[in-house]
Amino acid sequence: MDNILLKDKVCDLPGYFAAGGYKPLKKALGLKPADIIEEVKKSGLRGRGGAGFPTGLKWSFIPKDAKGPRYLVCNADEGEPGTFKDRELILKNPHALIEGMAIAAYAIGAETGYIYIRGEFAAEGALLEREIFSARAKGFIGANILGSGFNFELHVHRGAGAYICGEETALLDSLEGFKGQPRLKPPFPAVKGLFASPTVINNVETLAAVPAIIAGGGEWYAAIGTPKSTGTKLFCVSGPVNKPGVYELPLGVTFRDLLEQSCGGLKEGKRLKAVIPGGSSTPVLTAEEAWAVKLDYEALATAGSMLGSGGVIVIDEGQCMVKLLQVLARFYHHESCGQCTPCREGCGWIEKILNRLECGRGTRKDIDTLVSIAEGMTGRTICPLADAMAMPVISFVKKFRAEFEAHAAGKYCPPDAPVKR
Amino acid sequence: MAFKLTEEFKARAEKVCAKYPRRDAALIPLLQELQAEAGYVAEEGMDELAAFLGLPYARVKAVVTFYTMFNREPLGKYHLQVCRNISCHMAGAPGLLNRLREKLGIEEGETTRDGMFTLSAVECLGACGAAPVMQVNEEYFEKLDEAKLDALLEDLRHGRRVAGR
Amino acid sequence: MPKITIDGKTLEVAKGTSVLEAAQLLGVYIPRYCYHPKLSVSGNCRMCLVEVEKAPKLLTACSTEAADGMVVRTDSDKVKTARRDVLEFLLINHPLDCPICDQAGECGLQDYYMDYSRAKSRFAAEDKVRRQKRRVLGPHLVLDNERCILCTRCVRFCSEVTKTSELDVMERADHSYIDLKEGRSLDNNYTLNIADICPVGAWTSRDFRFKSRVWFLKKAPVACLGCATGCLAEAHHNENVIYRLLPRPNAETNTWLCDRGRMTYKAVQAGDRLAKGVIKNGLIDLEPALREAATRIDEAKAAVGVLGSPWLSVEDNAALALLAAGMKTANFCFDFKFETGIADGILVNKDPSPNAAGAARVKAVRGGLELQAFAAKVASGEIKTVLAEARAAGLIKDALKTSGARLITFATNKGDIPAGAYATLPYASYFETAGTFVNYQGFERRLEPVVAAPEGVKPFWAVVNKLGAYSGVLLRLDSADDAMRGLEKK
Repeated sequence: MDNILLKDKVCDLPGYFAAGGYKPLKKALGLKPADIIEEVKKSGLRGRGGAGFPTGLKWSFIPKDAKGPRYLVCNADEGEPGTFKDRELILKNPHALIEGMAIAAYAIGAETGYIYIRGEFAAEGALLEREIFSARAKGFIGANILGSGFNFELHVHRGAGAYICGEETALLDSLEGFKGQPRLKPPFPAVKGLFASPTVINNVETLAAVPAIIAGGGEWYAAIGTPKSTGTKLFCVSGPVNKPGVYELPLGVTFRDLLEQSCGGLKEGKRLKAVIPGGSSTPVLTAEEAWAVKLDYEALATAGSMLGSGGVIVIDEGQCMVKLLQVLARFYHHESCGQCTPCREGCGWIEKILNRLECGRGTRKDIDTLVSIAEGMTGRTICPLADAMAMPVISFVKKFRAEFEAHAAGKYCPPDAPVKR
Repeated sequence: MAFKLTEEFKARAEKVCAKYPRRDAALIPLLQELQAEAGYVAEEGMDELAAFLGLPYARVKAVVTFYTMFNREPLGKYHLQVCRNISCHMAGAPGLLNRLREKLGIEEGETTRDGMFTLSAVECLGACGAAPVMQVNEEYFEKLDEAKLDALLEDLRHGRRVAGR
Repeated sequence: MPKITIDGKTLEVAKGTSVLEAAQLLGVYIPRYCYHPKLSVSGNCRMCLVEVEKAPKLLTACSTEAADGMVVRTDSDKVKTARRDVLEFLLINHPLDCPICDQAGECGLQDYYMDYSRAKSRFAAEDKVRRQKRRVLGPHLVLDNERCILCTRCVRFCSEVTKTSELDVMERADHSYIDLKEGRSLDNNYTLNIADICPVGAWTSRDFRFKSRVWFLKKAPVACLGCATGCLAEAHHNENVIYRLLPRPNAETNTWLCDRGRMTYKAVQAGDRLAKGVIKNGLIDLEPALREAATRIDEAKAAVGVLGSPWLSVEDNAALALLAAGMKTANFCFDFKFETGIADGILVNKDPSPNAAGAARVKAVRGGLELQAFAAKVASGEIKTVLAEARAAGLIKDALKTSGARLITFATNKGDIPAGAYATLPYASYFETAGTFVNYQGFERRLEPVVAAPEGVKPFWAVVNKLGAYSGVLLRLDSADDAMRGLEKK
């Protein structure tokens, strides 16, 4: 099938327009907002940022009778290790996002939108600014869009280096000029979000899918993928494969097809050891589990993991699982916002134990302590960052315990050798 | 040192503030502007910005210290930020970091004596498909290996490829 | 109104009540660190996790609103495990300095440790995160960042109560810490409340540090006499020494106590405390001082003026009124009209005296001059000798200066004696003797002695009683209440 999101020659407005871009916006402006939400519900589109919440349903949570402003926020704070799809999408097809936001804003009655893009993506942020400027010049953004009477102003807001801002309420705090610390829920953003007003926050990939859904209809989109995991998904493949990168494929594609057909298989001489299927927070799968799995929300849940952001991290037999978990623990320790006790203290503790284990100074008891700390963090914090640390810990130890025990027994890997490629 | 926001900065800042219904939402973009001018966010800058936005100083300081991209002191002309997260790690980031330490004679968080390079190890830069990745100031350099890294350092020393700070 | 069941007990609560508050009403205590009834809910410490039927995860009781039909368990194994885990997380980077920590004995970590903790540390092998210890931050506080559990009560206090926002959490993860602007002092007149609400030993009072272990302290209810607000307070004392004043939260006047008010106890034990009389500048025993004062009063005859005081109790003002009556002088005044009301939006009153309303009660019975008229008579020389409590004398100091009238004053501390006072008689402070005060809202505060007065120092009414006796006015006062009874008799 043809790609919906990652297409060629649509990286600027003339190209996008020539390919039929902004016709869905015109069509949407002729519909009632409720009908657009209905269409998105019909499409089965689910949040592509990681949680997989049904998009149309999320939009419908905006209180109908709410007075005052409403906001639409695009979460482009792509930072989950192993995930690099939003950047690619912005570079290749920025207007799908801009148009998707205009349609979503009309559907929820928002007159202001923000694209919160991670600070490191300076070039991508500048590109979006330019393309929004072009879209405004053509009347697709701004006051009285295409003569419909609907106004929508769209701003780009750059983050400043904090993974946690990918969590939607932390993102809102950051956008308001605070430290990015997740908020207590309730109240949910749909009721009290940005600047205490009703707000919808969607991932780049989610919003970029909206024009196609309006153009082709919800049913057309729902026919792609599996019955519950509809549409296409951007899979980001990293690790020792021949062609790492972002691939748009229907949900439900097998891992085997993604790896062998899209990515050209593993690099020569490498054997698959494990796969982290949905970004670094999702539980790791063994090679055996991975070869058998389909990549959609339900199949991955059945396999004990998650589709997450679609960041497929391929791990070969040459890698040390203790070392990789140490790398992840260092990351989560670095990124914990410090608000909730279990996450603030637990992430650092886990990293400290792994630092010892990795260089052969740990004990077997440490391995059990790791799991017990992770369990003590799970489900006990305001946001899921603690769980995002705990899931890899629990799954790595459970599935690769022998490697941890070998380290505890002193048979640890040699320190990082200068790499030869 | 008496640091003052310039009138030109204030005029630009007002435009940034206008993007938001509340002035304080402009705090992070304005800190970024300050940093773009000076290369770092100075104590006096925080003071001035707090006054300009009508915010308590502690809030500004908390924000500056929370986000990793704000520098509290001047950095080298080129800020070498090597991603060391999982995909880059598997693709050889530790070797790249070692090479940079050796060639530059500095550790992470340090700046070379000539003020050319500051070395940092950073977490996921979101370009895992092109691992290993290094960001130099605001530009990404992807699929690096030792040869490419050496060539890049040479280019940077000669003022090629990336605009210095 | 929602009906909630907690640990099998059902209660109807007002809408908006949190599970934690509802539990409190039922007598079920849920451990907490970050929650404080007078601050916004931050939900970050995670200590108050409870099990709510049908909720997939444990919920924080502080941030969960009680809903109709909600069934909560605070004592299940799941909850106990969560508490144990959270406490362990809090303790891993906490220093083991209880023996030298002033919070010991009233520390949330120590208290809950006994209830919920694992017996043995599993963190032994790791290096604790080190933070700055013992920093003096302002006139009243010391901050030990290593002991801090980042509950942010102090941050919220400064942003929500004093609205001064000096504090915030810097950095992130386990290296985050509380701080304020470098070089800036934390000085907003409410800082000691931070030491109170800090659940651990991170913020401690410079005044109280290392003075006494808290378990030795006895608590006595008092009221602050620092201004007309009349905050209810608690004096912590042991072996005749007062160590600190803490607020006694109540609905009428105060949750907090200001720094200035808290320091009022210090005068009681100050080096300049008067145990003897003063004639001109020389110390002299009480009896000769009384005789001397009486002689001067006799000299002045009808030209004596008696000034009540808004710093004295109702009873002691009454004693002065009786003395004036006995001297048969019409020159007396119990009229102190200050502008009242909260000056700083929190507690400090526009009226700096604690009992203008109490003095007015005496005026209501006895009448007398208005303060201005009294001052005018002093200034004109019509009143030649003034009998006044030291701070009240300060209210007419210009008039005294103008005429050079002789001032016989009463003071607890040498520092209070107005310049040019002829004779000063010592009296017991209201930490040492009983008395009634009426705050600006009309609430009556009855003070009882907390400690004994220095040897030989008598309550104010008793000093007046004696002075009367030396001047030939027999008041026959055996107690403060006698003065009240005398006042009513007329």
